[in-house]
Amino acid sequence: MTDAVQQVAAKPARTGVISWHSTPRRVATIYLPLACFVVVLLFPFYWMTITTLKPNHELYNYKDYNPFFVHSPTLVNVKKLLFDTEYPQWLFTTMSIAIAATVLSIFASVLAAYAIQRLRFRGSQWVGLAIYLAYLVPPSILFIPLATMVFKLGLYDSPFALILTYPTFLIPFCTWLLIGYFKSIPYELEECAMIDGATRLQILRKITLPLAVPGLISAGIFAFTLSWNEFIYALAFIQSSEKKTVPVAVLTQLVQGDDYQWGALMAGALFGSIPVALFYSFFVDYYVSSLTGAVKE
Amino acid sequence: MTKFTRRDSIALGLGAAAVLSPLGRFAKAAVPVADVPAPKFEIEDGASLRVLRPAKFVPADEEYFNKNTKKFTDTTGIDVRVDYQAWEDLRPQTAVTANTGAGPDVVLGWTDDPHLYSDKLVDITDIADYLGKKYGGWYPLSELYGKKFGTDTWVAIPFGGTGGPAVYRKSWVNEAGFDEFPKDLDGFLKLCQGLKKIGHPAGFALGHAVGDGNSFVHWLVWSHGGFMIDENQKVTINSNETIEALEYAKALYETFVPGTQSWLDSNNNKAMLAGEIGLTQNGVSLYNAFKKSEDPNIAKLAEDVYHAPMPIGPVGRPTATALVVNAMIFSHTEYPNAAKAYLTFMMEAEQYDTWLTASSGYWSQPLKAYSESAVWSSDPKILVYRDTMKDALWLSYKGPISEASAAVVADYVMLDMVASAATGSATPQEAAAEAERRAKRYFKS
Amino acid sequence: MTSVAESLGKTSVQPGPIARLFDWKPFLIVICLLPAVGLLTVFLTYPLGLGVWLSFTDTKIGRDGFFVGLENFASLARDPIFWLSVFNTIVYTALATVLKFGLGLWLALLLNEYMPFKALIRAIVLVPWIVPTVLSAMAFWWIYDPQFSIISYFFKDVVPIREQNFDFLGEPWPARLSLIAANVWRGIPFVAISLLAGLQTISPSLYEAAMLDGATGWQRFRYVTVPMLMPVLAVVLTFSVIFTFTDFQLVYAITRGGPNNATHLMATLAFQRGIPGGQLGEGAAIAVAMIPFLVAATLISYFGLARRKWQQGESND
Repeated sequence: MTDAVQQVAAKPARTGVISWHSTPRRVATIYLPLACFVVVLLFPFYWMTITTLKPNHELYNYKDYNPFFVHSPTLVNVKKLLFDTEYPQWLFTTMSIAIAATVLSIFASVLAAYAIQRLRFRGSQWVGLAIYLAYLVPPSILFIPLATMVFKLGLYDSPFALILTYPTFLIPFCTWLLIGYFKSIPYELEECAMIDGATRLQILRKITLPLAVPGLISAGIFAFTLSWNEFIYALAFIQSSEKKTVPVAVLTQLVQGDDYQWGALMAGALFGSIPVALFYSFFVDYYVSSLTGAVKE
Repeated sequence: MTKFTRRDSIALGLGAAAVLSPLGRFAKAAVPVADVPAPKFEIEDGASLRVLRPAKFVPADEEYFNKNTKKFTDTTGIDVRVDYQAWEDLRPQTAVTANTGAGPDVVLGWTDDPHLYSDKLVDITDIADYLGKKYGGWYPLSELYGKKFGTDTWVAIPFGGTGGPAVYRKSWVNEAGFDEFPKDLDGFLKLCQGLKKIGHPAGFALGHAVGDGNSFVHWLVWSHGGFMIDENQKVTINSNETIEALEYAKALYETFVPGTQSWLDSNNNKAMLAGEIGLTQNGVSLYNAFKKSEDPNIAKLAEDVYHAPMPIGPVGRPTATALVVNAMIFSHTEYPNAAKAYLTFMMEAEQYDTWLTASSGYWSQPLKAYSESAVWSSDPKILVYRDTMKDALWLSYKGPISEASAAVVADYVMLDMVASAATGSATPQEAAAEAERRAKRYFKS
Repeated sequence: MTSVAESLGKTSVQPGPIARLFDWKPFLIVICLLPAVGLLTVFLTYPLGLGVWLSFTDTKIGRDGFFVGLENFASLARDPIFWLSVFNTIVYTALATVLKFGLGLWLALLLNEYMPFKALIRAIVLVPWIVPTVLSAMAFWWIYDPQFSIISYFFKDVVPIREQNFDFLGEPWPARLSLIAANVWRGIPFVAISLLAGLQTISPSLYEAAMLDGATGWQRFRYVTVPMLMPVLAVVLTFSVIFTFTDFQLVYAITRGGPNNATHLMATLAFQRGIPGGQLGEGAAIAVAMIPFLVAATLISYFGLARRKWQQGESND
């Protein structure tokens, strides 16, 4: 399936397929650049890992310890993170909030995308555009007016403050993604069902949605990642330490004035990423193929 | 210990004398207390409090703060919940609380905050007067932060300040030719030049470092007699004194370790611990980091780490700053009396002194009597932090603290001026003129 | 295609009153749009409206303000630091976007090759996107440290080609570029994976046809790959531009706008002046000043995308 693109990557046209299957050529044009990408993309991650495993006195001492390696690895930082802070609790909170916000966003986006793409009404593209425009709110300052809203609804310091505000930046992208995906599902299937007397909601539930599962997964992954990383709303709307999300709580607990607990902080970054990384390695192919659907015109 | 029912009006000052903590005995022994009747508060029915404060600087800070809070709950039956927030992230949360009129009842917020939110705070003159009388009076700086500008109404209880004197490695300062840490600007410059020569240069934060950066540049400009605004809020930064200060900064910068113009608050700690620099300006946290290091080689170096007040310039007075934390009761609270009782309780010697002592120099008292606290005789090296609140100036010196002055500080006007002149990206004249322009945006009229 | 569908929808016979209600199109449309539009209206229109209103007042963080018309904007227009932040934001967004898409496309082309451990490599490539931004920013802060940069160490002690440490964050341009590099690092995975998906939709027959016409490799890339990628490119571009333009965490964690405001973005300047500085009205004005740029970016990509559809002869949108 990828032949076509391979050809794009290489130059000579007429000599055909044979020439770029030669190993040295592939190494030079594909594996070497790819290796560079992987090294650069993973290096900060590697840095976090070795910082986690380094005892404190190795951190700043580049003369006696080569900073690229850990000389006497220790799990003290991991232990500190997992047992001396409420990290497991934060991880659980963040996870629950991210999942709830994702489910809510996907639910809203599926219906909206279905309405815009399948129910077709006058002005549907304007509704689509309006949902797009929701991205225009820069959170770095408008969290104060948003906080007023959160307070009025009695949501302050409750996980619902985040579960209900995160969709504001999740729904636009998810809706767009699903509109594209619904487009790729042959309408004939729905027509047949309709002729058989199925209602539109039955069609959505029994035919369109099952076919759109990969699209749902990719929208879900996107939404989950953004909720996972969000910082400002989590900082502004949550006060109780046990309800904080990982990025905020880790900074509160592990930065003591100008003294940073680097090892534990980086352990926090790693442990926060691992569940998502596992999740991704399962679904990354779904993600690719579903986006494939999304961009089909 | 007696458990009071909520209806009781209680005198907290006398309530919890039975302190079991080993640190408690210092309190009785050292801190002089005047005999003043404690104020009585009609505690509201079903009162409970939420408190928001900056995260700990040293672990014992949080531990003893919580212990004292628990004691308050045990004594009065008022439930108090304390939440912590990273110190640089506290301001957004305080802002949300003030703007929405909901959230925590008590916030321990940074320096200027009581002045920004003075319309939304409970008048606590009664407890401030009581505490002042009982504990030898407030330092002038405490009064400046605690009182609503131009009135005698207290809107905040300054809780403590953290200072930033010079921190240096004695052996290297000796090697650079100084037996004593210099007390004047010429000597200071020569010391920095000497340190550079022996390969252990000085380093002071010139990036947008809220704590260390501000404390260095304000010390520098003030010590030469320059200041941002005068008593009448006239912008006076573009003065000959400022230019002199900037010329001095330029000479001083030549001696710094490279890269200080991007330093934030934690960079100097790292560099000092690694032995890259021999002199900087910091709170006691750096000394503690040496002392508590798991690496015996670094822990040993703590003996070589000394503190000294920053040198005094032509103005002839110390020109240090202090990062002060002020306790405010927001008027949206349903239980103002319970909140007042709580603050009073926390400031009483039985509690406050244990906390002050446990913080081992990180916090310095706002009330004069606590200068006798045992913490200040526990380690001669931290003695310099004792007078943090006594000698320090506020960041909008010589003018009043106002919305405009807070904006000028938050915009790093002074820091950018010194940094651009020191690094040579602007001449001192240009830098001062630019600072004047930026400050005038806020001091219109 | 749609017209057929619609006529079918109208004529088909439906049983049951409730089922019929749910099949009554206007009702169904309202029901379907309600959750999304409802959530966005409740949580966005009010803050956005209030934000715009604040920008026309002199509100301070501790007290309500009065309507001052365009004064905040006029004052910002005279403030070189505001313009510096606009310049920085545009440079930051433009450079980061170009790099993200250039490198992202290259990476997508590489990932599209057949190779062993394909799924694993794709998952690895996504890693930078997963680490919470605040924490990866702190890792970068360390990597750029003037004293303890691992990059400086590498070029000083491992491959000794430099005497001095790099000063990544101390000078305006190096600082900007360092931040852009961190942003690109974070953004590449998303772009690459999305473009990879786009690449896979391109039918091989198109390339065969081009080859028969004697097109060179570059021509095939230029006239087949790029146009076919346009739809996904346009949308990913919009979202990427918006996220980069409103970026906050990276700058706030690494330089806080320094040195001498050379790395202040509009979002960080708005925050600095609005929250710690207390000038809520002015901060809101800076945030509102971002909106025209964002609208422009959105509209360009949205209609860029729509134009693609017209070219393909779809009449239904």
